[in-house]
Amino acid sequence: MNDGASYLELSRRYGFAPKPESASRLTQLVSRQDADLDEIAKVIDKDPALRARLLRVANPEAENEAEYAIESAEDALMRNGMGCVLVLAMSTPLAQALVKTFQTMLSLKLESVDPRTAPPLTGDHLRCNIDFSGKVIGHVLLRLSSASARTIAAGIIGADAKELNDAAEICDVAGELLNIMTGNFKSNLCDAGLECKLSPPDVRITGDFTPPVRHAGSVEHLAFCSGNIQVFVEVTANPWSDD
Amino acid sequence: MATKILSVDDSRTIRMIVGRTFKPYDCQICEAGNGEEGLAAAAREKPDLIILDVTMPVMDGVTMLGKLKEDPALKTIPVIMLTAESGRDNVLQIAKLGVRDYLVKPFKEEQLIEKAGRIVTLQKKPTV
Repeated sequence: MNDGASYLELSRRYGFAPKPESASRLTQLVSRQDADLDEIAKVIDKDPALRARLLRVANPEAENEAEYAIESAEDALMRNGMGCVLVLAMSTPLAQALVKTFQTMLSLKLESVDPRTAPPLTGDHLRCNIDFSGKVIGHVLLRLSSASARTIAAGIIGADAKELNDAAEICDVAGELLNIMTGNFKSNLCDAGLECKLSPPDVRITGDFTPPVRHAGSVEHLAFCSGNIQVFVEVTANPWSDD
Repeated sequence: MATKILSVDDSRTIRMIVGRTFKPYDCQICEAGNGEEGLAAAAREKPDLIILDVTMPVMDGVTMLGKLKEDPALKTIPVIMLTAESGRDNVLQIAKLGVRDYLVKPFKEEQLIEKAGRIVTLQKKPTV
């Protein structure tokens, strides 16, 4: 029995959820330094949501699709590079992991919202960052309002949010949530041949909105809400690091 | 006699959830924050079941599992991996070392009970 068959058998035995195939296929293609642009563009063309996001990123000044100067996935790839595709492809399973984590552990249904129009965070908030390094480098950054972080921590711990004043406890919960999300993210990267390691989560309550030191590469912003809870996520990734 | 379960995870949130999960059952929960502490706790407490994370500081879960399986006094203790990492190579390596089951985070508490219940006796505490 080869390793692939063994892994499939183990996945069934342990009851793993199937991984998103299109993201996995795309990540595998992008992870090859001799990746064929045509082949990648064809995979993107089969995923309308991904294609729309790629074209939006490739036309940053356009107000709507009618103003797009770049209209094909291939041209968008030429303009934005493989790092952009990797981030876009990987942000889909990352978003799914976030939604699943909130649904499973908090029974909260997060809805994806446009990060450009979502009400921005102000003042002190919880900032949680995990770096990854190896054949791909980048980070996943999570920001929550202090009230959202408190509500989420109370839900996980099973405490009353009004009585939860232990900042360390709130930070530990947020760190674990990000650990879970990025653990899933890392598994997808590693399975695509982009082996990497995660840093421990850096969690702090801060009023500082300065972005972390960015590695060269693309950045994707995601936002989610459920009632009063708002979650902002930033992900960067740059493949083919020499680390 | 209460079923003894060792939870090894660097997140106290997860250790707390594991403790809460088994609270309705006649279980004694021991905790460790990394693999090194986990090995010491396993030797000291001789648990009936270990619930083990992968990514931890000091000593990770894969290393702890390997050392556990090399120790004649500890190698028969069943282990359930509880981790967010389900990458192919990790899973194959862990399965080769020997685990009874594998649960990917995020998880529901009833999933952990179901998997643990297949390995050890979980007796509900009498309701008062």
